[in-house]
Amino acid sequence: MELQKRSLIILCLGWLASLALASFVAGYYYMEFQNLNGLIEKYENVIMRVNICIDYKELNETVVWYNDTIVSLGCNLLQATETVALVNSTYSPAQQASFVNAINGVSNHGAYFWMWQHWNDVQEKWEYGDVGADRYRLTNNETVRWRYELPSYT
Amino acid sequence: MRAKNIALLAVMTSVCVGIQLTPRPPQIEFTSLICFLTGFLFGSFFGVSVGALTMLINGFLSPWGFGDINIPFQILGMALIGFVGGVYRKSCTRAGNPSARWFSLEVSFLAAFLTLIYEIIVTVGFVIFLNVNIIVALILGAWFTVVHVVSNTVLFGTALFGLVRIVSNVLGEQPWSYKKEVL
Repeated sequence: MELQKRSLIILCLGWLASLALASFVAGYYYMEFQNLNGLIEKYENVIMRVNICIDYKELNETVVWYNDTIVSLGCNLLQATETVALVNSTYSPAQQASFVNAINGVSNHGAYFWMWQHWNDVQEKWEYGDVGADRYRLTNNETVRWRYELPSYT
Repeated sequence: MRAKNIALLAVMTSVCVGIQLTPRPPQIEFTSLICFLTGFLFGSFFGVSVGALTMLINGFLSPWGFGDINIPFQILGMALIGFVGGVYRKSCTRAGNPSARWFSLEVSFLAAFLTLIYEIIVTVGFVIFLNVNIIVALILGAWFTVVHVVSNTVLFGTALFGLVRIVSNVLGEQPWSYKKEVL
């Protein structure tokens, strides 16, 4: 009987310890979160939030959204995309713009290319970008999409 | 204190200090295991003495630097672990020996709790020294505490039972006969 009582007490102490540890770790991440929030508030006037979509639907039916991505104010689409994905691009001096070759390891292949679009809030539809991604300056709360697709002009 | 006891105390403390001063990853230590073992095998007084002496010497010779105001807190924390080793043994003797598995389970849970208490005691030292809030100090050191607690839990759970038997055999005693485990 006493053995059971002792074991129970020890198990309870161990459980309490694990609970306290979990609280410390939770507290640690809460403090980190608070610090990060403070940092964002501090730099609020030099950052903006954009929504970036990477659409692999033509490849594997996958669409990934990166909503409220924090980027520096006035940053271009290529820079913003590089904050959420691994981008391979080539700068063309003739076009004075960069050409995106691959996003997250998915390369342009055959007639399939990475095309980008931005959401037109007024007309409520996607519109193709008419310049290279590094020439397009994003605005706060803008929504953009990269699509791996067979372009309509082909 | 008899000469044999003094020799024993010196040997256990030397083992502890030797291991304590050996380069090792931070927060992974064997001192608490040996202090608990000493307390368990030779009584609370010995456990407390080994823990206190080890941390006193460690405070001056530690490769991490001089312990400063934290030394008394480290002594207190480690002495407590040695003390509980003796108390646990008494409890086992009184209530009947648990099986090897239960013993390992119990000491691992006990190690988690004692290590946490040790960390809290040592943090109090830092708090006094650096004049910061204790909750903030505990939270900032959360991952260090986790590593210490987890490593001690694993160490106690896996090594203590074997060590008890080995030291008992070396001493020519059989103070701890376990019920045979049936798999």
